[in-house]
Amino acid sequence: MSSVAPALVHSAEVPQPAQHGKPGGIMRRLNFGTGLLGGIGLATIAGVVTSQFVPSGYSSPVTFAPMEGEYVYLAVLLGWVIGFMAGMGAFVGPMRWLLGRENTHVDAEYMAGKDLGRSRYWKYTTDHKVVGIQYLIVTLIVFAFGGLLAMLIRTELGVTWAEVFSPAFYNSIIGTHGIAMIIAMIIAVSGPLGNFIVPMMIGARDMAYPRLNALSIWLLVAAVPCLVSSLFLGGIQDGWSAYQPLASQAPIGMLGYQMTIIVFALSTGVASVNLMTTILTMRAKGMSWSRTPIFVYGIFAAALMGLYAFPFYQYSQILSLSDRVFNTSFFNPLEGGSVWLYENLFWLLGHPEVYVILIPTTAVLMEILPVFMRKPLFSFNFAVAGIVGVVALRGLVWAHHMYMTGWAPAVNYPFMLSTEMISIPVGFLVLVVIGTLWRGTSWSRLPLMAVYAVIFNKMIGGVTGIYLSDVPADQYFHGSMFVVAHFHYMLMGAGFFGAMGGIAFYFPKMTGKILDERYGAIGLWTVFIGFQLTFGSMFVAGLQGQPRRVLQFDEQFAISNWISTIGAYTIGVGTLIFLGAIIFSWKDGPMVSGNPWASKSLEWQTPTPVPLENFAVLPVVTERPYNYGVPDPYDEELRAHDGDELESAGAR
Amino acid sequence: MTMTEVPQEQPESPTNRPPSMHRFKNWMRRPYARHVMIWTVVIGFLLLPLCWLLLAAMNQTGAPASEIMQDIETTVFVFTLVSIPITAFVFAVLLYSLIGWKRISSDEPPMQESPAVFTNRIGVVLWTVVTSALAMFLAVWGMIELAQITANSYGTISANEQPGENQSVIVNVTGQQWVWTFAYPQTDGLVSDVLYLPVDKPVYFNVTSKDVIHNFWAVELGVKIDANPGAVTTAGVTPNKLGTFNIRCAELCGMHHAYMETEVRVVTQEQFDSWVREMGGGRTS
Repeated sequence: MSSVAPALVHSAEVPQPAQHGKPGGIMRRLNFGTGLLGGIGLATIAGVVTSQFVPSGYSSPVTFAPMEGEYVYLAVLLGWVIGFMAGMGAFVGPMRWLLGRENTHVDAEYMAGKDLGRSRYWKYTTDHKVVGIQYLIVTLIVFAFGGLLAMLIRTELGVTWAEVFSPAFYNSIIGTHGIAMIIAMIIAVSGPLGNFIVPMMIGARDMAYPRLNALSIWLLVAAVPCLVSSLFLGGIQDGWSAYQPLASQAPIGMLGYQMTIIVFALSTGVASVNLMTTILTMRAKGMSWSRTPIFVYGIFAAALMGLYAFPFYQYSQILSLSDRVFNTSFFNPLEGGSVWLYENLFWLLGHPEVYVILIPTTAVLMEILPVFMRKPLFSFNFAVAGIVGVVALRGLVWAHHMYMTGWAPAVNYPFMLSTEMISIPVGFLVLVVIGTLWRGTSWSRLPLMAVYAVIFNKMIGGVTGIYLSDVPADQYFHGSMFVVAHFHYMLMGAGFFGAMGGIAFYFPKMTGKILDERYGAIGLWTVFIGFQLTFGSMFVAGLQGQPRRVLQFDEQFAISNWISTIGAYTIGVGTLIFLGAIIFSWKDGPMVSGNPWASKSLEWQTPTPVPLENFAVLPVVTERPYNYGVPDPYDEELRAHDGDELESAGAR
Repeated sequence: MTMTEVPQEQPESPTNRPPSMHRFKNWMRRPYARHVMIWTVVIGFLLLPLCWLLLAAMNQTGAPASEIMQDIETTVFVFTLVSIPITAFVFAVLLYSLIGWKRISSDEPPMQESPAVFTNRIGVVLWTVVTSALAMFLAVWGMIELAQITANSYGTISANEQPGENQSVIVNVTGQQWVWTFAYPQTDGLVSDVLYLPVDKPVYFNVTSKDVIHNFWAVELGVKIDANPGAVTTAGVTPNKLGTFNIRCAELCGMHHAYMETEVRVVTQEQFDSWVREMGGGRTS
């Protein structure tokens, strides 16, 4: 075929490269099935070849666990990732480019899933809405996996009279639960909503790099089996922090963790660059920075912080893996390495990552609030200042995780200062939220209920955070259950509830159905009650002095742990109800209009289901976001009584 | 929110600008403003017992056995006290938003909209000043306390200087999977797996590990320091109470991390000396 397919860009016909074969070419044959086939195939070949030709592992001086099969597992993991990505078609684009066959417009449309129906969700599809849905599904799966492990942990801790699991298995479910939940929470908002909503919110037709978008989600999918497989090969017995040299003692399952992180960090980096470029370059005409919705700021900040933080994690795990497999000694103190180097690299990720989770969830609730309070976001500039402040300080607080390591007692002072200081911009965000609540007529729907839950939890999480930011108090709380309760209040209380609210809010846009109010609310409040029980009493256990990551403890901690376990099961039940509400609403919920919440922002002005390329005509933005509300009656009265006093009247 | 609640008479001021106190009074005439303030105070008082409840939970196994632990508890008390006002205010707004201001639960979006308040200069400035002042106070408090604790840990002697023979006890703490060992270098090679300390005498810990990272946590003494392989970290304390207290490992260190605990027995100097002799330490003093 040598005919030239025209594409309409700015009403001018531009010449297209020659079309080779049917639209999409080899991509027509590739989908998730061929991905699995490629992954399993290459993994098998790599495993067999390695086991035949490479001598089996060694035993390092600090290693007690047998290292048999280490090289084989590494080869299998690499084979899986490369084979899966090849089978999905990740290398087709570069190959075609090398062969001089550039994508035509029709090819690109095929890649975006035009006329493919449901099968586009199983392919290397570039449409940002498809990627958003794929992210949502992956988030739910990873979250369910992590939640199941949480139930196992609480079962062990609730049964105070016996060991339910062996200590090794218990330690590995703790580590796997940790990393699974961290991954789920990092992608929970930025993944589904960042991909699905942000391009529509800024009035764009797609992301800046659609194929990188597909790459980021399928890399993430490739990472998940690495994590799950590690559980069956001895697991991650050293917590998700994988401190050295404990990590090098762990069985070969540790390699699964390291490979997961390396691939996940790659996926996050690709996604971050994509989101940032999209936001910087593709905002609609007239969408100046002060007309850009706050959620876009939140996602941009998360992408920026992620891009800063994840490379540290990736390097730390690459070095760790190298220590393990090739007997280098970056972190092995017996051969000149440093355990503190690992801790620093890890927490250079670890703390910015908290804000990578928290800022988008806070931003999404700032997006929800004006719509349901029918009033503008209180002090938009302050919200932006809060986000900028957090971004500015994100990289200066990591060592507050290391107060008690004895690494450098003198730096405890500056890190205590910077950590206390970061509570000021976070406080700005709190003010924006309660200022928007102030005097608002609330339309109590499910998303707003989630917002109330988030504010409550975040307040508790924030206040308990100031104890931990303080070195003297941390001298008691560090490494105790208090820390666990605190970060669950932050990551789960704000992150998870925020994600529930965000998903409930955008559900009509993403699926065309409305999330069942009744069962959604029952699920949400069940989780909320269970959450307070679990982590409220975990605070008590921490105050009493129970160390974290233990499977048995003194009798005095029994009562708080029993309550925690009851609460955890309640969370489990509530989550199942909420998941059920999602699934059933998605399948048989009533169809709703394109804008059921009567929101004024751009993404709701598209028809539902959203067509390919979102907007028939690209929108032009002429006013600030959140133009809700009527003139303030008090102001009106003031004006009536006291003419020009209005401008300076602060007494609102 | 009727006309009658708005002040009818304006103050007679030549600048035609009501004094700030007056404006504040006007603002407080609004029912919601009054209610939120009252609720803040009520919730604040309801939260106040937390100051003592937190300490009660911390003291469950025994009151502080050193000045360091007392300092820690004071800090916890002060932090709770300081964070109550802000917490109470946020909770009051949250609660008032749920049940005070108008609420609609129809299926249709409400058409009657709320006041379009875009910002409020005084509110924003007040919030920034108050939260920044609180954060500064907490930071300064933390630094002073930290300096205090550091001084209490090491007495008047700097950390890297070995203290004199008779004024203090030196203990070399070694963590290994999954036991603690305590060596007393001032004796003839005395090693124990239970920590014995004389009361009211400074103790210096040189902490290290043989394998992975552990964390030496003497709970009631308020000592917590990582035991790192390949490095020696230091900590110190002066126990001021007789009794038996807990030592736990506060850093995941492998399979039996949960069982890596022992006791510290704070005894009188005579008992300590006789224990050392019994154990064959032949104390030099």
